[in-house]
Amino acid sequence: MTYTLYRHVEEQAAYLTQAIDSILAGAGSLLPELLLAIFFLLLVTLDLFKSKTIKRLLPWVALTGLFSVLVLLVLDRHLAEVQFLNLLRSDGIARYAGILFSLTGIFTILLSLQNPKIEKRKQGEGRGEYYALILMLVLGLNLMAKSVNLLMVFLAIEVVSIASYILTLTLKEEKRAVEAGLKYVLYGTLSAGVMLYGMSFFYGLTGSLDYTLVSFWRSLLDASPLMVTVAAILVFAGFLFKISAAPFHFWTPDVYQGAPMPIVALFSTGPKMAGIIVILRFVAAFADPTIANAFSDVQLFLGIAALVTLAVGNFTALWQRTPRRLMAFSSVSHAGFLLMALLAFGSDYTVSVLFYMTVLLFMNFGMFLFLQMAEDNWQVRTLEDFQGMGPRIPFAGIMALLFLLSLTGLPPLAGFMGKLLVFSNVWEAYTATGQTLLLVLLVVGILLTGVALFYYIKIPYYLFLKRNQTDENLVISLSNKLLLVFFALPLLVFFFKPDLLLHWIEKLLA
Amino acid sequence: MNYTLSSLIFLPLLAALVVLLLPTRMQQGIKAVTLGGTILQLAVAVWLYLSFDGASMANGQTGYQLVEKLDWIGFSLGNLGRFQIEYFVGVDGVSIGMVLLTGIVGVIGVISSWTITKNVKGYFLLYLLLMTSVMGCFLALDFFLFYLFFEFMLLPMYFLIGIWGGPKREYAALKFFIYTLIGSLFILVVMIGLYTSVIDPEATAQQMGLLGQDVPASLDLIRQVQQMLQQGTIAEADMVRTFSIPAMMEPANFIPGSLLHVFSGVTLFDLPLRFVAFLLVLAGFLIKVPSVPVHTWLPDAHVEAPTPISVLLAAILLKVGGYGLIRIVYPVFPDAGAYFSTFVGGLGVLSIIYGALCALAMNDLKKLIAYSSVSHMGFVLLGLASLTNEGVNGAIYMMFSHGLISAMLFLVVGVIYDRAHDRMILNFRGLARRMPAYTAFVVVAFFASLGLPGFSGFIAELLVLLGSFSAPESTGMLPRWMAVVAVIGLLLSAAYYLWALQRMFFGKYWIFPELREKAIISDLTKREYLMLVPLAILALVFGIFPHLLLDKTGMSVTGFTELVLRNGQEQLNILQAILHK
Repeated sequence: MTYTLYRHVEEQAAYLTQAIDSILAGAGSLLPELLLAIFFLLLVTLDLFKSKTIKRLLPWVALTGLFSVLVLLVLDRHLAEVQFLNLLRSDGIARYAGILFSLTGIFTILLSLQNPKIEKRKQGEGRGEYYALILMLVLGLNLMAKSVNLLMVFLAIEVVSIASYILTLTLKEEKRAVEAGLKYVLYGTLSAGVMLYGMSFFYGLTGSLDYTLVSFWRSLLDASPLMVTVAAILVFAGFLFKISAAPFHFWTPDVYQGAPMPIVALFSTGPKMAGIIVILRFVAAFADPTIANAFSDVQLFLGIAALVTLAVGNFTALWQRTPRRLMAFSSVSHAGFLLMALLAFGSDYTVSVLFYMTVLLFMNFGMFLFLQMAEDNWQVRTLEDFQGMGPRIPFAGIMALLFLLSLTGLPPLAGFMGKLLVFSNVWEAYTATGQTLLLVLLVVGILLTGVALFYYIKIPYYLFLKRNQTDENLVISLSNKLLLVFFALPLLVFFFKPDLLLHWIEKLLA
Repeated sequence: MNYTLSSLIFLPLLAALVVLLLPTRMQQGIKAVTLGGTILQLAVAVWLYLSFDGASMANGQTGYQLVEKLDWIGFSLGNLGRFQIEYFVGVDGVSIGMVLLTGIVGVIGVISSWTITKNVKGYFLLYLLLMTSVMGCFLALDFFLFYLFFEFMLLPMYFLIGIWGGPKREYAALKFFIYTLIGSLFILVVMIGLYTSVIDPEATAQQMGLLGQDVPASLDLIRQVQQMLQQGTIAEADMVRTFSIPAMMEPANFIPGSLLHVFSGVTLFDLPLRFVAFLLVLAGFLIKVPSVPVHTWLPDAHVEAPTPISVLLAAILLKVGGYGLIRIVYPVFPDAGAYFSTFVGGLGVLSIIYGALCALAMNDLKKLIAYSSVSHMGFVLLGLASLTNEGVNGAIYMMFSHGLISAMLFLVVGVIYDRAHDRMILNFRGLARRMPAYTAFVVVAFFASLGLPGFSGFIAELLVLLGSFSAPESTGMLPRWMAVVAVIGLLLSAAYYLWALQRMFFGKYWIFPELREKAIISDLTKREYLMLVPLAILALVFGIFPHLLLDKTGMSVTGFTELVLRNGQEQLNILQAILHK
């Protein structure tokens, strides 16, 4: 009796040491996340002090944290190709995504520093919490990009979501913010629940949550196709919610309307990029034609989601009257483009997707910085408020023009390159598979660029074509000017020399 | 390497940089820099034109002169091999006339813009950007580079019309932008299809290790690579895909199995995919030409644009459409070009007649001229569709001649508008009495445009008609009635010009009472002479000595028609199976 117990304990101990060993072996790959967690705790602790100097230092502490993670990711090659248990994989994609997320966090803080509403609030009121939550959100994004296990995906998404809910409510004295926050929480929890439900189906069908395993998909092949499709749709509902793709985009305009501008910029890039990477990992199995053929329903569903997202995003944007809502639907349409790219099975689209996301990061932050300046300094609330502003802010106006043209996808800006790469992949996939869906996506995607011009051009239209009484110049702070240039410059560089970035991404992925 | 062509393209951009650095209040300085930049560009263009060797052209595929070829963007996309975008410019008989025209009209446009007072710096900056992109369009031999310049034309134009235009300028600018953008999106689809289908044999040879770096490939080696490609013995990873237009012109460079390969057998709406692609690019360029029924943006844009911008629009921007058809659409899709020749020719004839009828109905002089542009650009389509040497030469001649004459026409409209702030035909009568010199130039411009012998327009129309008459025998394109109907267009153009002349300029002097207050009806100023005299002389010179241009274009056009007819016939034979299924 005692002997068997002893045997049992010994077995357990052996298992435990094994588990601890593998945790320790993989822990090194989690260095960026650990660093983020440490800085998060540091910020929360520092926030307890009443000293004004410390309060003033908080954003810079957060910046230091993000920056050190960025440097770590850019320099350290050893992070790649390590697996943490069967939950997180630190490969080239995760590393590049981590770099993008660190940049997202840094940009968000830079924008927040320029935002009088956030910076000039009564001292000590949730300042530390704001910056700490940004770090937590970035941490969640990193986990999302690394997850190879459905449960881990769920946890990571929840980390991001919870941080997002609170960040939306940063300016809780504004009625709009409260409305946005409430809507976001309601939609968010619902979609999380639905996603979890779908995941439980998957677990039931396959007995595994590791969707990168071939065995996961093999056992799905034996399951009832209806069940698989239902489960996939439920899970994708959660994913699509995160990237604000139709038909799960309804929260987008309201949240964009209510959240502080830096947070809107963050939402339009960070979670979207992470969500796309989650989907990218999920559908990677479809590169295998036998699996792809078996799950053509899922592909069709994704294809239709991409089409609907593109259509809803672009056409609804046409009727918007405020720049925030316009950008909300623009962000929906970009989700559509990214989804479309993910469907180009058979072509090597990862590089293109990462390139597109990089460009999206710069142009969205640039545009939101411009909108933040317009809103806070010049009281612009609707598109009409831009009337005749162009000659008064020539520099910022031209920068805004660059961002908008890049968002439309016109040369000579990087947005065009991103679209060109995506379209090329879709064309290649169409050549290889002959699926009509891909051709439809390609044609719709390209033609909607024409529609996109129609709404993006509205801002320059009011800025430059409409006339105003006064021509008196408005002052723009130097830091804002520099930031605008900082966001605009890569758009030109990545158009004229996209290979610089493409080669680098390739090297990371190799 | 010779950098003449790059200097042609980037001189205006350089001038734009100088303008950017000048303080806003130095208006004269800004104008002077712009004028200097465009004059330099003209000087280089004239030098290029004079030194261009029109006889050296072997065929349409090689024989570009002053070629500059630099690696620009190159990246590999996983298993798809390498993609290559080059800075690849060159000039041949098709583009040489357009380059000269751009130089001339560029200078005239600056002189015409001298009276601009509102936001001078912005205006001339955009003007110079526009000049760079138009010139780039005419010289680019890489599709991507071409597309870049092609799209970049839209933006300056949008603002030039939208900010400095007339009362409905916002509407007209947006309409122009959307129309042409939709057109260029059609072109983009096909561009993507083409570059994923076509390899650069030389670069592929290098990638395969058959050829050292920086060694020019021999013709034999290129043939060998093309053969290997068609036999499928080149690995995917070794294929270097390219945007080069000359490479796209050779059917042997298409990757077997790619959708636009002749043998692909892919159909869409019961047409071979190549034909669908042809129709898409055709539509893209037809919007720019513009041809009926996608011409509706043109009258709006012209009416609202300020005079110098109307001049640029009519004289050079429209030419990009016709030029694109000759440079890209027909050589790359010769089979479809031959197959659809009646359709294209028919659109040409439709434009000629419909444009002329609309012109006849217009009360606004500027609208009349805008529609006359539609009508004249119809001749370009007709000549091109005939695929005869005369017809294509005529099409190019028509673009050149229309560039000179339409510039003049829009300038003379500008003259009356500057004085009376009105240009309705019925509001004026007997202007000849008050403005004799002006009337003389109007008569010259109108007669040159309606094709009076002795002016360049006559040569162009004659060549096009000769080509389209002889096409049924010589190339088997176009039914004969098209040439006959096109002649009616000539008659109509005589009608609307002469009628306008009679109503506005002859008879007793009278202007609409409400205009009398503000109108100062005086004859031409020195600045206006400076613009009109050179254009009138050029229209005359090119009308009397057509060989000046034809000597330059002739060999290239022969190469073009031979290539299109030969490849077109071969590929059509292959596609017959699909077409008659």
